[in-house]
Amino acid sequence: MRFKAVLFVSCFALATGMASLHAAHVVWSGLVIAENVPQPAAIPPELTKLEPTLKELFGYNQFEVIGQSNKTLTTGQEDWLANSKYFGLHVDARGESDAGYTLNLKLYKEKDVLLETDANLSRSSPLVIKGPQVGSGQLLLVLVVKEDETARKHRHAEPANPIKSSFNRLRRAVRNIFH
Amino acid sequence: MKTFEEKWTAWLDDQLSGPELEAFEASLPDLEAARAEKRDAKKLGSFLKRELAAQTLSNEEFFSHQLRERIARETEEDQPRTRSSWWTVPRLVWCGATALALFLLTSIVFLSEEQPAEQSDYLTQILNTRVDSTVNPNATISIFESNKTDNKVTVLWTEGLQSLPADYAAK
Repeated sequence: MRFKAVLFVSCFALATGMASLHAAHVVWSGLVIAENVPQPAAIPPELTKLEPTLKELFGYNQFEVIGQSNKTLTTGQEDWLANSKYFGLHVDARGESDAGYTLNLKLYKEKDVLLETDANLSRSSPLVIKGPQVGSGQLLLVLVVKEDETARKHRHAEPANPIKSSFNRLRRAVRNIFH
Repeated sequence: MKTFEEKWTAWLDDQLSGPELEAFEASLPDLEAARAEKRDAKKLGSFLKRELAAQTLSNEEFFSHQLRERIARETEEDQPRTRSSWWTVPRLVWCGATALALFLLTSIVFLSEEQPAEQSDYLTQILNTRVDSTVNPNATISIFESNKTDNKVTVLWTEGLQSLPADYAAK
């Protein structure tokens, strides 16, 4: 009887272990001041991919991060804060889906809420929010989902595991059935 | 002083000897008839001895058999009956193997599909947005997607928010 119980628990642990085979994600949230300066500083690495889009959309040549946060999401229910001296971006994650993470964002100027929004943040689509004018520049809020660094290194070091990939596809298919 | 019956029994059992035997045999009215009776009695004795011994053995076996059956019956009643379960160890093993085979089969089926792009096609969605209308009475909000480069960026564009002095750009 004890052997059966151990066998059952082992099978269950194996099954749940397989289900958790997915990479954790990090959400980078930043408070960015965009402005035009004669000698622009190098763009922060988190915004490198977005540089052309940001320049084209807002017409500024420098993007300086005045506050930021890297939050690793494990449950999809975390909340965190990216702060500068006067601004605060409070992010409250309210669940995860295939489309990404459901977030509630609040932009604070000191204690006042300037802006509040709810968004489904996709893993493949960053979110840029145009905030208030600050001096000659513009406050931007940027949220980007990054893959966890360890998972990314692992993926780059080794070719994609076909079994894991197929398992993930299976998982998505099963989720689609139930959603 | 022994009675006649005692002496007769002792004579039948060959327990008399010497002068006592001679005196007893002399006292019998028909010695030959008495000897014939003695032979018959011995025959009967040996017969009974043989038959009774055999019957005793048979009873022992029967008793022993009955006893064993009763012990077995009572032991069975005393022991709590173990519930038979469908989930025996071999069946569990078979179930596990079948599940694994199904998983591998499904994996192979999925592997044969065309590899999708690494990134999903989902775009970030803005569900709703609020601004403080008392501080920013003329604020307007628009949402659009930018696909101008490889990045699919969702933009929440606000206009009319209260401007702030440059000090607010401090880190």
